[in-house]
Amino acid sequence: MISSIIKRDLTLALRSGGAWLFGLFFFAVFIALSAIALGGSLTVMRPFAPALIWLAVIFSAMLSFSAIFQEDYQDGNLAQLKTSGVSLVSLVSAKAISFTLLSILPLLLATPFAALVFDMPPQIISATIMSLLLAAPALAVYGVLSSAILAGRRGGGFLIVLITTPFLIPLLIFGLEAIESYTKSGLTAVEFRVLIGLSLIAIAVGIPAAAAALNANLE
Amino acid sequence: MINYLANPVRFLKLSKFATPIFGALALMTMIWGLYLALIKSPPAIEHGQSVRMMYTHVPAAWCAMMAYTALAIASLVSFIWRHPLADSAAKSFAVPGAAFTFLALVTGSLWGKPAWGTWWQWDGRMTSVLILFFIYMGYLALWTIIPERKRAARLASILAMVGFINIPIIKFSVDWWNTLHQPASISTPGAPGMPPEILWPLFMMMAAYSFLFGWLALRGIEADIVRSRKSRSTDKPAAKAVIETV
Repeated sequence: MISSIIKRDLTLALRSGGAWLFGLFFFAVFIALSAIALGGSLTVMRPFAPALIWLAVIFSAMLSFSAIFQEDYQDGNLAQLKTSGVSLVSLVSAKAISFTLLSILPLLLATPFAALVFDMPPQIISATIMSLLLAAPALAVYGVLSSAILAGRRGGGFLIVLITTPFLIPLLIFGLEAIESYTKSGLTAVEFRVLIGLSLIAIAVGIPAAAAALNANLE
Repeated sequence: MINYLANPVRFLKLSKFATPIFGALALMTMIWGLYLALIKSPPAIEHGQSVRMMYTHVPAAWCAMMAYTALAIASLVSFIWRHPLADSAAKSFAVPGAAFTFLALVTGSLWGKPAWGTWWQWDGRMTSVLILFFIYMGYLALWTIIPERKRAARLASILAMVGFINIPIIKFSVDWWNTLHQPASISTPGAPGMPPEILWPLFMMMAAYSFLFGWLALRGIEADIVRSRKSRSTDKPAAKAVIETV
């Protein structure tokens, strides 16, 4: 069941005429705007580069959150899936996986190019990608949760940011700390393990909560 | 206890007595506490008169946390047993809770200027209280954006519970972040060795804030019950087709 929902999401995205790439454009725009705001000098920007990339990823993801359930809720697909007896937990998990594939993975693949623009040292680049990779499950799960809570609400764009921000703060903190301590202790740094822990907690808490929220919205 | 009070009629009967008692207690302890805090207690040695800010600041921060705990418990009750009264309670805890959080931030900032020489310091406590304020705002915003009461209650309770689980995690990460980036420059008065002439007004003010919170929450629940009763009696027309345009 999970795999067929994912397959459907991927097919729909590929036929949407590139709408799934908007997040990637936003990522590029964010990077460009921060470079302009910071004055464009590489020596000034280099220390901030991991933080800017992290912010670009988080904001880009947050802007795509509201779309996770929006269309399926409005055209009645979610109600159909519910009446057909699909467990909401597997539906939510499938949505989290397809969100990771469609919205977070492109950003991860674009990170090396952003790193080139900021002239980051190779070690920091791999640390940044690693920390983003480990935080991706939590990012996707909280996105699915807030999208499930706000499914079918118009104008939920700002509210979705307000609701998810508190949950994403630990990720941001430990993601950036992990990059910092990667230069000293490599992948064995404690912060990477904390990131894995945060992702596991997010999955354990967020998936059932998202299923419950979806259920409440479909009642 | 929960089952007994879940009946709104019975609750209103009880709150008819409890609300004025809470109000009177809040007023009395507030006056007495303020007298102790502002007039009777001595200025601190290293903080001077500005230590009096503590008597309004610490209870506010404490009540902000207490209100969120109460909110999470009410949300749990509402989620499991679907008591409408628990929804009213959760909603009525949130508004004073957010107000106390805001008060804690403002008084903390006003106290920070004379004590540390800055209006704002990105230290662990202030940052996590700020995040708590964001959590409250998200919760309250959710109530306003969803028109159907039952659905709003259910979704808000889910958000409140996930938020409650996340609060220790956020606190932990902010403390971690803060110890790495900030030199330990802040000494907080309030450590074990506080003399009784400072401790007493503090306790009194804590009692006053707690009673005030109880009074505000009870008033909020009463108002909410009346409001939902009124909306039930007015939008009675039974069957009507709703065509949603999306």
